[in-house]
Amino acid sequence: MQQIFAYLQILVGVIPSMCAGILATFAVTLIFKTSYTTNFAQGVISAIGAYVAVEYALVHGYPLWATAIAGIVVAFLIGIVIDVFVFRNGRFVNVLGKQIITMGLISIFIGLIPFVFKLAHYESVPAMPFIRLTDGFRIGGDNGVFIQYNTILALGITLILLVAVFILLQKSKWGLSVRATASNETVAGMMGINTKVITAVSWGIAGAFGAVAAIIYIGNVTLASGYVMTTTQINAFLAGILGGFATFYGPIFGAVIIYLLNVVIGCVCIHVPILSNWKSAIVYLIVMLLVLWKPQGLFGKKMVKKV
Amino acid sequence: MMIKKNKLTSPLFREDADRKSVERKLRFLEKIRKHPTFSFAIFALVLVLMQVLSKAGLVSSSFVTAIGTTVIFCIVALGFCLLLGYSALASLGTAGFIGIGAYSAYYCLVEWDLSIGIAFIVAILAAFVIGIIVGYISLRIEGIYLAIVTLGVAQIIKEVLSAICDTIKIKGSQLTLFGVETMKLKTDHVFYILIAILFVLMVITQNLMNSPTGRAMLAMKNSTSAAQAFGISLLRYRLLAFIISIIYASVAGLLYMMYVRYVSNSSSTLFTLSTSLNILGAVIIGGTKSIWGTIGGTFIIYGIDKMFLQDIDFFRENPTLITLFCGILVVVVVMFYPGGLAQLVMELKYKLTKLSKKIREARYGKDLG
Repeated sequence: MQQIFAYLQILVGVIPSMCAGILATFAVTLIFKTSYTTNFAQGVISAIGAYVAVEYALVHGYPLWATAIAGIVVAFLIGIVIDVFVFRNGRFVNVLGKQIITMGLISIFIGLIPFVFKLAHYESVPAMPFIRLTDGFRIGGDNGVFIQYNTILALGITLILLVAVFILLQKSKWGLSVRATASNETVAGMMGINTKVITAVSWGIAGAFGAVAAIIYIGNVTLASGYVMTTTQINAFLAGILGGFATFYGPIFGAVIIYLLNVVIGCVCIHVPILSNWKSAIVYLIVMLLVLWKPQGLFGKKMVKKV
Repeated sequence: MMIKKNKLTSPLFREDADRKSVERKLRFLEKIRKHPTFSFAIFALVLVLMQVLSKAGLVSSSFVTAIGTTVIFCIVALGFCLLLGYSALASLGTAGFIGIGAYSAYYCLVEWDLSIGIAFIVAILAAFVIGIIVGYISLRIEGIYLAIVTLGVAQIIKEVLSAICDTIKIKGSQLTLFGVETMKLKTDHVFYILIAILFVLMVITQNLMNSPTGRAMLAMKNSTSAAQAFGISLLRYRLLAFIISIIYASVAGLLYMMYVRYVSNSSSTLFTLSTSLNILGAVIIGGTKSIWGTIGGTFIIYGIDKMFLQDIDFFRENPTLITLFCGILVVVVVMFYPGGLAQLVMELKYKLTKLSKKIREARYGKDLG
């Protein structure tokens, strides 16, 4: 029983990062499908959202929920600005060029952060959970599983956002336009869809989702630098490859699988402490083997390209 | 028969033969001068001169150290240039592979007490094995996945390395040539080794770019479908370019350990994403297809910062300014000026020759100009 509680505790501990990972995965997938590029700046854009939230809560003393919304809005706007000013003008840049532009954007934002935020000069920034870190309840007696209210809040926000976005994707006109743009931008444009707006809004939504992810994530860790979301972003990309970028739901399942793998390896590490240094390497290796087995992803379809 | 004899003995002919031999010699010299290796050699000599001048006290030693460090990053960038400019792949794992090289150096030289040659072999082999695994899996799917997968690999390499041993350090006494105690390598000796290796790698890269392999990569970059139609195996050449690039990075990591001799994972940013991004920026800014462009780009990103800006308070207090500058340059170059620095220099050269021709024409008239 004790052992099972220990395992469950690891599972509960992973949930906030898993929520952040799922949201980041959706953001990455959305941009991959509408703009056909891997947005490496996703992590740093969401980190800026988190910076806005924490800066105004910590330095200026506004309530966290208000600054969190402000952070999400800022990330939304940054996403739109990037699309309108960079990607719309770089329409004829090839796939590699687009990738490199997003890499360049990382450098730009990382360089900008210390000039904009006072927080970047702090020696240490405390973790910023919505509800105080020690609050929570126990299941199963004194040695049971401790669940923080933050975890439940994170899970709730993520589920609501995911359900809402998938209903919108399937049922609304906006969702139809996004799916059409994702499958073929030129034809979607011919059919009277304003693909420019769709792409811009997709970038905005991706930014906003990233900001939500970052704000959930920094409840558990501290906002050390602009690179704080790198691990989440890597997991999001891996989830995309594992689930296959062909569908919207595939990467989400991929993200869940990756984080559950983390839990399993974490449980194994309790018994074999030597492995704990190699934890992420093992997860990565398993994911790579899965990709080797299914190159198009677990839920992917073989994409046929015309020459 | 008679005519021939006459010709041989005639003074006119002898003069002619002399002129011809001089001409041949001149042509030979011209050929050497035009040969790409010649300019590489001149570049290497200039760098070596810096060290000599520093010994004479004319150049500060920190300036030479800055050049040495930049040369190490030049080696990384050369490999990356081959990957990005010739096979159109981007990798974000450069920093991780530099780390592999650095840790191989540390373990071989300090922990296992082996010689430098073996350290080189270990560094290259380690990079090779990881490169084959990572490259084979990611490149089998699609080219753009390489950046994603290498980003993850670099992060994991960094995590594992810093968990195993956070600070790596090589003492001067542990760095000997051929394992002979008396042949200790001082920092300035390592500087010469750096320059020599840079020179050799520049020549190798130049030859590789002009070889059938380089042509195949270039074809693949311009159109994957057309390249496949000509019988070029995408996976094979992409894998080759990737492995070459990471071997360069690994060797550079090893050289870094030999030259700087100290890396602390928790305080240094050497093994983080920012290094990979800076290398990418250097290659993009310099012009992805040119060796000189790559070297120039690296000197812009790393050299100027380390050589001059570190002396100015404003830049020391705002270390991210150079990152910001690099990022803006990358975006601008990719969007508006894909040739980068190399193209800029070419265009300036062309304009200058045109201008000088015009001036000459204006001065001496059309025919004489």
